[in-house]
Amino acid sequence: MFEILEQAWAFNLDRETVFGLVEQSFVFVVGMTAILASLGVILCASPIYSALYLIGNMCCLALLFLFYNAEFLAAVQVVVYAGAVMILFLFIIALLGAKKEERDSSFEKLMGMGFVALLFCELLMALGVGFTRPMEGQATEDAIATVGSAKAIGMELFSHHLIPFELASFLLLVAAVGIISLAKFSYRPIRKRTRV
Amino acid sequence: MFAYSWLILLLPMAGFIGLSWWGNRLPRSGVGLVGCGSIGGAFLVTLVVLADMLLLSPDQRVGNVVTLYPWIASPHFQLDLAVLIDPLSVFMLLVVTGVGFLIHVYSIGYMQDDPEYSRFFAYMNLFIFSMSLLVMAADFFFLIVGWALVGLASYLLIGFWTEKTSAVLAARKAFVMNVIGDVGMVIAAFVVFQYFGTLNYVDVFAKASTTFSPNDDGVLLITLLLLVGAFAKSAQVPLHTWLPDAMEGPTPVSALIHAATMVTAGVYLVARCNSLFMLAPYTMYLVAGVGVFTAIFAGSMALVQFDIKRVIAFSTMSQIGYMFLAVGVGVFSAGMFHLMTHAFFKALLFLGAGSVIHALGGEQDIRKMGGLRHAMPITFWTFLVAALALSGFPLTAGFFSKELIIMESYHAELGNFLFWGLAVLGAGLTGFYTFRLFFYVFMGSSRSPGAHPHESPMVMTGPLLILGSLSLLGGVLGPWAHEFLSPVFSGVIPLHHEDALLESITVGVALGGIATAVALFMTGKDRLDFAKQMLAPVYDVLIHKYYVDEIYDFFIVKPVKAVGAFMEERAEKDGIDFAVDQVGAQVREVSRGISIWQSGSVRLYAMNMVAGLVTILLFVIFL
Amino acid sequence: MDTDFVLFVSAAIFSIGAVGFLIRKNPLVMFMSVELMLNSVNLLLVGYSKALASLDGQIFALIIMTVAAAEVVVGLAIILTIFRTRHDLNVDHINVLKG
Repeated sequence: MFEILEQAWAFNLDRETVFGLVEQSFVFVVGMTAILASLGVILCASPIYSALYLIGNMCCLALLFLFYNAEFLAAVQVVVYAGAVMILFLFIIALLGAKKEERDSSFEKLMGMGFVALLFCELLMALGVGFTRPMEGQATEDAIATVGSAKAIGMELFSHHLIPFELASFLLLVAAVGIISLAKFSYRPIRKRTRV
Repeated sequence: MFAYSWLILLLPMAGFIGLSWWGNRLPRSGVGLVGCGSIGGAFLVTLVVLADMLLLSPDQRVGNVVTLYPWIASPHFQLDLAVLIDPLSVFMLLVVTGVGFLIHVYSIGYMQDDPEYSRFFAYMNLFIFSMSLLVMAADFFFLIVGWALVGLASYLLIGFWTEKTSAVLAARKAFVMNVIGDVGMVIAAFVVFQYFGTLNYVDVFAKASTTFSPNDDGVLLITLLLLVGAFAKSAQVPLHTWLPDAMEGPTPVSALIHAATMVTAGVYLVARCNSLFMLAPYTMYLVAGVGVFTAIFAGSMALVQFDIKRVIAFSTMSQIGYMFLAVGVGVFSAGMFHLMTHAFFKALLFLGAGSVIHALGGEQDIRKMGGLRHAMPITFWTFLVAALALSGFPLTAGFFSKELIIMESYHAELGNFLFWGLAVLGAGLTGFYTFRLFFYVFMGSSRSPGAHPHESPMVMTGPLLILGSLSLLGGVLGPWAHEFLSPVFSGVIPLHHEDALLESITVGVALGGIATAVALFMTGKDRLDFAKQMLAPVYDVLIHKYYVDEIYDFFIVKPVKAVGAFMEERAEKDGIDFAVDQVGAQVREVSRGISIWQSGSVRLYAMNMVAGLVTILLFVIFL
Repeated sequence: MDTDFVLFVSAAIFSIGAVGFLIRKNPLVMFMSVELMLNSVNLLLVGYSKALASLDGQIFALIIMTVAAAEVVVGLAIILTIFRTRHDLNVDHINVLKG
């Protein structure tokens, strides 16, 4: 990214470079928006706003997917995630009531944040490592463009990754059974040893 | 060719399973029908097998292994689910299922009033199954399986009346003694496998003479270990003490298991392994010596007992001693023939005794009996036949078999004069104690005036009559039995030695025993008491069974108990229990300390996870 | 295509999700934080899928979405059940499993 910026700085521009520059800046803006939206998710006191920020975050990610040649996944992300799952979240919030959360700070929270900051640093160390594997796959941009993203994924999914796919379907079945059993049986309230 | 012989095993097993599962829902007549029907069916199948076998020429009769399927097939060990059909096993099956069937029929009457009728028949069927397995086994493995199962059935049946403490203790004693023998058998099988690489009878016996030369260490070891099993099962000295106590069980059990079939398994074993035993003359001397010693030893103890069943039990030990003498001097078919006739007349004696006990409402003390000959004529006559056969009265079945054994004990290759003399002495003892019992029970006048004995029902007297005729006329089967069995024993047929002197001495001593009993019965009571006082020390030793139980108790049971008590105090309580308790206590303490981590708060759990993630990433990055 | 940016964005969103899970008390928001973390991983997978020219990353992302959907549904049902029995949604108050 930075070479392009250097080139732009030097006004060493041609048509390709301009397109690349625009695309890079667009990706940069969308990525930063995603980070901001995720910050919004965890900082809003009301769960409704959190949910809306999450939708925004997911849409940003879907846009990024588009840039990374994953059109099918972008569509799935918007339809399933930002659509169905988040609607489910909103329903539940509506059902349970969107109470604002009172803010407090405690040592535990600070310690948790410290841990996560450390984690973030460690993750960023991967930047220093850089690329370790050569680009060896067959699914280049052009190869995907000839068959289309959805078809390419489908071919891959039903040939090499059939067993994980079947296992995922089994997982969904288990989830459905679990929800039915949760919904069907009523529980007596538990009052024992509860700190209020 | 003999594939259907599996039915002999399956029928009693089916009876056992059926009676155990549905026995309580069947009516009593149904239980009796199933119990006897399955054994009767097995007997019929045995007869068919016998007929088939007689159609073959003698050299084709041996080594017919009927394989159901290969059970274990590995390069180094092959084990088939197979039975061996040859004259010896058929002969034993005839005794087991035939006498077993008669005793089952008898039990219908004898156990009529018992509340646990179906359990009794289930156990009896289990016993017949196990015994058939024992005699039909084609290898040492299934021999041991059957061996252990008959021990189990014996245990269950001795302790059948679980409310009687003495019966339960007797069952335990029998089981422990039998297990000593089982251990010997199992080790013997290991040794056999080590030397031969197989457990099949056919292979082992075929290779025996090339593997061992006479009196090799290996063959001596195998035969001696087998003998441990044989002596324990057949109640020979020194493992004999369980048999008299085993009389606590119901009388048909005593007749079936502890007279006719199971206790003779040791003789069968020696006969089955004759090719091994013939290679070990030292062991053969031991077999014959222990056999003849037991014959005298048990016979002398029988002289003074007052329990009707115990007298017969000691007599059983003594007669099995004769069988061991026969196989020990190498005339296997004579031993087997005596096994068969003994099964007839000893089962008959027990069943007759059972009939008497039944008639007197459970009384077993012969001092309280007497004068039963008028009340129970059928029992009286059949008992007399059995007593004559047991004492070797000329022309009864017992005469032919026992006579042959006594003659062979001198004339056979391994026989000698000492064996002969002791055997003759034993014959005299037999005559005496048998007729002492007989006179006590049936002659004279009743010694318990309150009793009103009655003849037993037909279902009980029927088997008595059949066994009576067999005991009387079974002797004619002798030549046939020797010829039939000879293929198994490499063609050896015992010669009938024309030795008038020895023979007349034998018969004379046996008759002398009977005559002594008669004479004592005729003499007055005061002379009897005088004789008793004169022989008081001997009498004392005999009535306490030579104090063998007490000696075992002092030298084995007491030390073991002392060690056990010590170990319980020191090793159990201070060692194992303490260690276990401490483990529990320490774990509880430590976990109480750790349990603060289990706060129930999701946040803390999540934080622990993140901390763990951080640590793992540190490791991944920097190490 | 450079992967540094993808790595940075993904790490940032993941860490934010982790912080959100640790500091929030409303179980719904905690779930949303989990979604954030899952999504960040998806982004990483898709980005590297392009960088390595292999479709495996996208397949993994797809399966992660499936797992996430199942997890959300079950989790929300559990939250509903907890709410039905306790009428309280503060996770700090849910400590019945204290050892």
